[in-house]
Amino acid sequence: MTATQAKPQAATGTGETRTLTLIQAINEAMAEELARDDRVVIFGEDVGARGGVFLATAGLQAQFGPNRVFDTPLSEASIVGAAVGMAVRGLRPIAEIQFADYMGPGFDQIISQAAKIRYRSGGQFTAPLVIRTPSGGGVKGGHHHSQSPESYFAHTPGLKVVMPSTPYDAKGLLKAAVRGGDPVIYFEPKRLYRAAKGQVPVQDYTVEIGKGAVRREGTDLTVIGYGGVMPDAEKAAQALAAEGVQAEVIDLRSLVPWDRDLVLTSVAKTGRAVLVSEAPRTANFMGEVAYVIQEELFDSLLAPVMQVAGFDTPYPYVQDKVYLPGPNRIAAACVRALNY
Amino acid sequence: MIQPFTSDPLRWVAEDGRPIRELPDRFTPAVLRELHHEMVRAREFDKKLVTLLRQGRTTFYAQSSGMEATQVGLARSIRVGHDWVWPYYRDHALGLAMGVPLLDLISQCLGTNSDTCRGRQMPHHFAAQRQNFVSISSSIASQVPPAAGNAMAQKYLGVDELTVCTFGDGATSEGDWHAGMNMAGASGAPCLFVCENNQWAISTNLKAQTASETIHIKAKAYGMPGYYVDGNDIVAVMEVLSHVAEGVRAGNGPALVECLTYRVGSHSNADADAEKNYRTREEVNAWLARDPITRVERLLDHLGEPVSAEERADLISAVHREVDEAVLRAEATGQPDWRIMFEDVYADTPVHLREQAAFLRAEQEGVRA
Repeated sequence: MTATQAKPQAATGTGETRTLTLIQAINEAMAEELARDDRVVIFGEDVGARGGVFLATAGLQAQFGPNRVFDTPLSEASIVGAAVGMAVRGLRPIAEIQFADYMGPGFDQIISQAAKIRYRSGGQFTAPLVIRTPSGGGVKGGHHHSQSPESYFAHTPGLKVVMPSTPYDAKGLLKAAVRGGDPVIYFEPKRLYRAAKGQVPVQDYTVEIGKGAVRREGTDLTVIGYGGVMPDAEKAAQALAAEGVQAEVIDLRSLVPWDRDLVLTSVAKTGRAVLVSEAPRTANFMGEVAYVIQEELFDSLLAPVMQVAGFDTPYPYVQDKVYLPGPNRIAAACVRALNY
Repeated sequence: MIQPFTSDPLRWVAEDGRPIRELPDRFTPAVLRELHHEMVRAREFDKKLVTLLRQGRTTFYAQSSGMEATQVGLARSIRVGHDWVWPYYRDHALGLAMGVPLLDLISQCLGTNSDTCRGRQMPHHFAAQRQNFVSISSSIASQVPPAAGNAMAQKYLGVDELTVCTFGDGATSEGDWHAGMNMAGASGAPCLFVCENNQWAISTNLKAQTASETIHIKAKAYGMPGYYVDGNDIVAVMEVLSHVAEGVRAGNGPALVECLTYRVGSHSNADADAEKNYRTREEVNAWLARDPITRVERLLDHLGEPVSAEERADLISAVHREVDEAVLRAEATGQPDWRIMFEDVYADTPVHLREQAAFLRAEQEGVRA
């Protein structure tokens, strides 16, 4: 039951690092995996010459050629389905869905094919693939460019679901996803693409899927989140620290599987948990986290588990920032837990 | 000689068994007899499975009686174990003809320990790694985009293979079908799409399915040739599919072949009274007159090499014995236990599934979790 350290570490060697943005880290991960393994191919809408709408794949086609990095027809069902067929035939596809909001047309392929083929064939056929997609709000995108659909996929056995919030994790998780044996839905919090900067090792490393990270140590309560809300969770913890409250901040990094040991160890220590995500509240994945905390730690809890989430409305355009759980809303939930 | 986009289905043998085109040399009486035997094997397999259903030994079965020429002909037109096949759920005659062991098919339908799919799917949804016969999904047309991707991988790898994707006429209404056809067309991948047009999607007939006059003309929209063939004439099926497969393999890009056939029985045991509810006895009788097995028998008659009544009876009883033995062998292996539920979900079983497995073990075996 070891908590993963907050500070980025080089896996091996000299430990040399340099500063990257989250999207640079994603781009580097793909470049390195393309160079490492000929079976890796990258495709989607506009990922080739343009390099993706957010430029996540910028320069990759120029470097690796149009057989390795290519544009597809505008069809999420085709993109995901083709990734399944390629993976079954022995490639390691990384498919990009331009926005998580557009995963609907590819949903059947994800849940009927990618998630099930290993199980239903008794392990005779497998589909190790990665579907990368920008998700979440905060960029004035309206409801078709801002949603957080991760709970749909976390609900489907056979899929792994991850969402990094730092450049270090973004690179390490993506490499782990490409090298693993399962279909991985890799959500990228788009508002952190350039806002999140951090130290990333020069040498090769991976971040194990299923392990969370302690971003800040504390004793009074535990704030748990993932993806785009993490900087706000840390800001809330800083504000509380000014009031003399030490909040422990945990970044789940992976939703399926999720790091129950890390969460339970922390909440057992602090006695309070505040769960933060920007997805709509009802049937939010954090409901599962709350359920496990109450089941395992009922007698240790000093307050009910609090949830800070998005509202159960379609994502709004004008009220973009109001919709998102910012530091104030997170801190207010923490105060409620502390004063219970 | 074999042209795409014909207005009538291509055929070699008339319903009365007369060749209406010159019979290619490869269709010797011995070969025709082999094909006949394979079709009879599939037909009798069908009948035996219906019996097993009535006995309560399996729970679902979707017959392919009437469609044997399409499926056996397809198996004979590709390189089995070399090419890849993304089938649909009514393809057991195809599987049998590709050499999937009859025991494996029976085991899957019974969900026994000998089922290579480990009792995870409803009957009639088998998979066979040795034949590159990829796992069947119940979700209609969901195999079409992956088949395109499989073919794209073959092109990328530079291997001398092609991908076959089969589906019924109903599948052509699904978004996944159009997405997969378009992807294959745009990528030029070596994918051979075969529509087993049996004219009924459960109770919806082709006219209600599409305003398109035929299925094969839809190929035009995806930039590939579309062929129309009499799916009850195994000579025609093999001639057209072999020709088209050769072109696909040679790098000409994907193609669609529509095999016009008929599902003589109901969709499944779930609609056993199909004739009463949604189609007429006259229609079924008209198609029975075009039966693919009878047609080969008539052709052999015409060639002066008839299948004798005794030969046919021996053949049928041999299949019945084979199925009976397979059922006993499969049932003797027992049913998979609860453990298999938690395996093959992921490459390695994560902790939450291990805990859930421990819970079920405690419940099932009275062991403390």
